[in-house]
Amino acid sequence: MYLPSAVYHERSRQDHAWWQTAFVRGKMVLLFLLLLVVIPATASVYLLSVANVIGYTILSAMGVQLLIGYCGQITLGHAAFIAVGAYVSAIAMLQYGTGYPLSLLLAAVAAGLWSVLFGLPSARVKGFYLIMTTMAAQFITVDFLITQYVSQIGGRGHYFSLPPGTITIGPWVIESDVQVYYLMVLLVTLCILGMANLLRTRIGRAWIAIRDNDVAAEAMGVNIVWYKLLAFFVAGALGGVAGAFWISSLFFVSPEHFQFGWSLWIVGVILIGGVGSLHGTVFGAMFITLLLEGLKFVVIPLSEVFPALSEKFLNVKEAAFGLAIVLFLLYEPKGLAYRWEQMKNYFNLWPFSY
Amino acid sequence: MDLFLQLLTTGILVGSIYALVALGWTLIYKSSGVLNLAMGELTLIGAYVSLSFYTWGIPFPLALLGTLLVGFVLGLLTERLFLRRLIGESTLTVIMVTVGLSFFFRGIVAFVWGTDTRVFSPPVFPTESIRLGRIVIGQVYLWSFVAAILLLLIFVGFFKYTRWGLAMQATADDEMAALSLGVSAKRVYALAWAIAFMAAGVGGTLLGNINGLNISVGYLGLLVLPAVVLGGLNSVPGAIVGGILIGILQNFSGAYLSRLVPGSVKDIAPFAFMVIILLFRPYGLWGWVKIERV
Repeated sequence: MYLPSAVYHERSRQDHAWWQTAFVRGKMVLLFLLLLVVIPATASVYLLSVANVIGYTILSAMGVQLLIGYCGQITLGHAAFIAVGAYVSAIAMLQYGTGYPLSLLLAAVAAGLWSVLFGLPSARVKGFYLIMTTMAAQFITVDFLITQYVSQIGGRGHYFSLPPGTITIGPWVIESDVQVYYLMVLLVTLCILGMANLLRTRIGRAWIAIRDNDVAAEAMGVNIVWYKLLAFFVAGALGGVAGAFWISSLFFVSPEHFQFGWSLWIVGVILIGGVGSLHGTVFGAMFITLLLEGLKFVVIPLSEVFPALSEKFLNVKEAAFGLAIVLFLLYEPKGLAYRWEQMKNYFNLWPFSY
Repeated sequence: MDLFLQLLTTGILVGSIYALVALGWTLIYKSSGVLNLAMGELTLIGAYVSLSFYTWGIPFPLALLGTLLVGFVLGLLTERLFLRRLIGESTLTVIMVTVGLSFFFRGIVAFVWGTDTRVFSPPVFPTESIRLGRIVIGQVYLWSFVAAILLLLIFVGFFKYTRWGLAMQATADDEMAALSLGVSAKRVYALAWAIAFMAAGVGGTLLGNINGLNISVGYLGLLVLPAVVLGGLNSVPGAIVGGILIGILQNFSGAYLSRLVPGSVKDIAPFAFMVIILLFRPYGLWGWVKIERV
């Protein structure tokens, strides 16, 4: 790890600290000032909603990042677990009137357990076969169980809408965009800190060992099945948190939001951001969301000449996303996180970069 | 019993179309090791291209021929532009490139042709159905079956008797040996993609004739995955039998299971079935028994 000259650590605590120098601490203070004060004070409703979508994408992709990037288990069905989280928390709040924190917890546990169920085949198969199992999880959970059965609970019709005042944290009611934004920042911060710390414990190192070489990991005494299932549980729980957050920002939930396309989308996000990097998850989510929002500003002026562009904007977006994944994999396979490291190195070593 | 026979026949007839698409998938996997998740979109492209030709007034056989030609060119292009650089990359990278392609193709198809259901009008095949004993079969199904089987035979003949087909078999069997004998692996990969595009295009056209054509025909292309898993990933006969079995399974579950569990069991059954196969016999019917134990 890079340290400027004349910085010496005397205790191991200092060596393990996340933010080691005054410069980095200052940077983090500025970041939190930006996130907690500047953006909510200045951003319009539209920008806040974009920020919330970014937060949701980060939360969704975090579990996928854990499974693919840190444990080497490719999953193409993560939207199923996000959906489980969303529905569990919605039902808890609507049917049983629980507060938001409790429903969030329930959502995380339920999604985690559901994910373990579909992670069980990972004890027997890997690679392509595991991919097929996770895809099956997607179709069985969302297109069948949730669309056909869970959506019927409570007789509210095809989607659940949450009336104002349902989402409460203790005495506070979450209803405005700014409140949702703060909730998002809180959840994203907690998830990133939790993940970062988890990854440097015994558990995280076991996951990384399994990713790098499962046979060697087993030879070193890592209980592969147990750690894989644990990875599925944590990833599912993160998905559940994402789902619970999504309903608090939309105030309704429908199976349409958790289709196979969304599973693929969040895998694309981590590939663009960088596999095996927490920074990458954030960068990928920001890049994709902002790219597609930016596309809007290109399309709107063009739509006077080609009206089809704005009428079918959704399809243009889809095609652009697909092209972005393909181009990133072909030309920048290590993702944005790698580029970020390169940039940091350039400035750290400047002016003698050799 | 009547119902059973009826379902069986329809299942086989529809399954033959799945078999055709599955054949294209297996070819790509066999020759270049690429697990292609964009198969559904290849079906979509082919189906819409032939629909366009047909609505311009070109007779159906010629339209189908045109689709084959367009599919051939598109297949070569896709392989050259996107897939060739990925030789030797990790599974995730290759799969996600095909996923990216599937988003790209779907976006383009929906942009160009819209998302409303379109039909081949006037209908290509006569609409009155044929009675065989006590079984009733729509002529669309019958002709689709004939077309699919014909194409399957042509492809199998191609592999067995032509120079290029033999080169493809050799590459699939042992790439290193094939290379040292002067087979151009690049051309084999390109050809595999071209054939996959062609097979998917015809499959999509036939499916579009049966139910009308919209973006969800691309979902039917995903049914290829259970079919090839059932057949064993790298076996051509496996893909054909797997496709037909999935067609039958889908029809049976639609009729029998949906009484027990209401809902769209028909769409889910192949995937549920696939999980069971994966748990107990991951190499399928005729795949190479090379499964890695974890």
